[in-house]
Amino acid sequence: MQHIQRRLSYTLVLITALAWIFISADSSGTPTAGEIPAPRQNFLAPDFTLDTTLGESITLSDLRGQSVLVNLWATWCGPCRAEMPAIQKLYDEYKAQGFTVLAVNMTYQDNPFEVVPFVKEHNLTFPILLDETGEVGKKYQLRSLPSSFFIDSYGIIQEVIIGGPMSEALLRTRIEALLEN
Amino acid sequence: MSQFLNIFAPPRDLILVVAAIWVGLYFAEKWAPKHGVKLNDLNNIIFLPMIGYIIGGRLLFAIENFSAFAKNPQSLVSLNLDLFDPSGGLLIAGIVALIYGQRKKLSLWPTLDALTPVLAIFAVGIALSHLASGSAFGKETSLPWGVELWGVLRHPSQIYEIIAALLILSLLWFQKPGQHPGVYFLNYIGLTIGARLFLEAFRGDSVIILGGLRLAQVVAWIFLAMSLFLLGGGINNISKVSIAQRKRSRK
Repeated sequence: MQHIQRRLSYTLVLITALAWIFISADSSGTPTAGEIPAPRQNFLAPDFTLDTTLGESITLSDLRGQSVLVNLWATWCGPCRAEMPAIQKLYDEYKAQGFTVLAVNMTYQDNPFEVVPFVKEHNLTFPILLDETGEVGKKYQLRSLPSSFFIDSYGIIQEVIIGGPMSEALLRTRIEALLEN
Repeated sequence: MSQFLNIFAPPRDLILVVAAIWVGLYFAEKWAPKHGVKLNDLNNIIFLPMIGYIIGGRLLFAIENFSAFAKNPQSLVSLNLDLFDPSGGLLIAGIVALIYGQRKKLSLWPTLDALTPVLAIFAVGIALSHLASGSAFGKETSLPWGVELWGVLRHPSQIYEIIAALLILSLLWFQKPGQHPGVYFLNYIGLTIGARLFLEAFRGDSVIILGGLRLAQVVAWIFLAMSLFLLGGGINNISKVSIAQRKRSRK
């Protein structure tokens, strides 16, 4: 008797659970992430406009159609310095396929006079942007350096890597995944 | 709250997971004798699969991305946690646990019972790490306890997850070891899967399949049915075999 009662209650649990699955189905068929700008995977990359070390102005949303790596860095950050040669190497290798790098220096918490010498020392040819007010740091909820955001050609963040240095293989797998998208 | 988020921001959120494993192991060691499992076996069945998880996850990732590693083989020993295949790592960990269990002739259900505190406290650690990293975020809501995230009010899904994990942990804490080996573990699994199935409805990052159904809920329902089947009678037959195995191994 006790056995039958238990089985009946378990059946009831399963029926209730099944009903809950259908009740809570997302009728819109799309995840909440959608097109809301946020520094998270599957969200729209928050837009920004910054000046480069060469005085040129670059807007992230103008780069739609290209795969973009937004790398937040500072000259005093060891892992940031360590990963720059690998980023440069892969930028050279993949830029012809529509890949670009925006290296955003956190100038508001860095020594601005050390940025250009660092760029020259490492022969960096991708755009180096200067975040003098902390606008991008705030929009991308910066908590650790370096922070890297791999953005696809639709402007959607496909991967977020917090910390570093990123190895060449890591960069290569993420860039190739972006380009395949 | 903001201090907690700053301290355990990614990748430091992993500290919470490691701490949870450590605390879980402490309690599992205390309770293992009640389930007839030796401490040495308990430690090995946790640490060997963990090593398998770490090495297996990295190796499988390298095989899947062979061309990237062929051009840069030293990346195989890179400290980047993202060069990893989590599901592949789990598969290898499972295989290592099975091989160890078979070689040491460990009884399945008592061993799983002994591991239950580790799993229950691990779930609390995972929930806390979700809160710290912002993963498993909630869907939009207009309820008064919604939290503002990315410009909209959302369900505090990570808080729900922490509460559920703590409730399940406290239920297990006061549960006396059952007569049948495996019941303690299956109760934990049933409760955890049930909680996931219920709470998934409030998540904003669900994988949606046909008809707007949430994949995690469908998978959870299948596992819930399996655990209830075992609790509802299936376990009796399995336990008989398990008890007989234990008696044989004691002789």
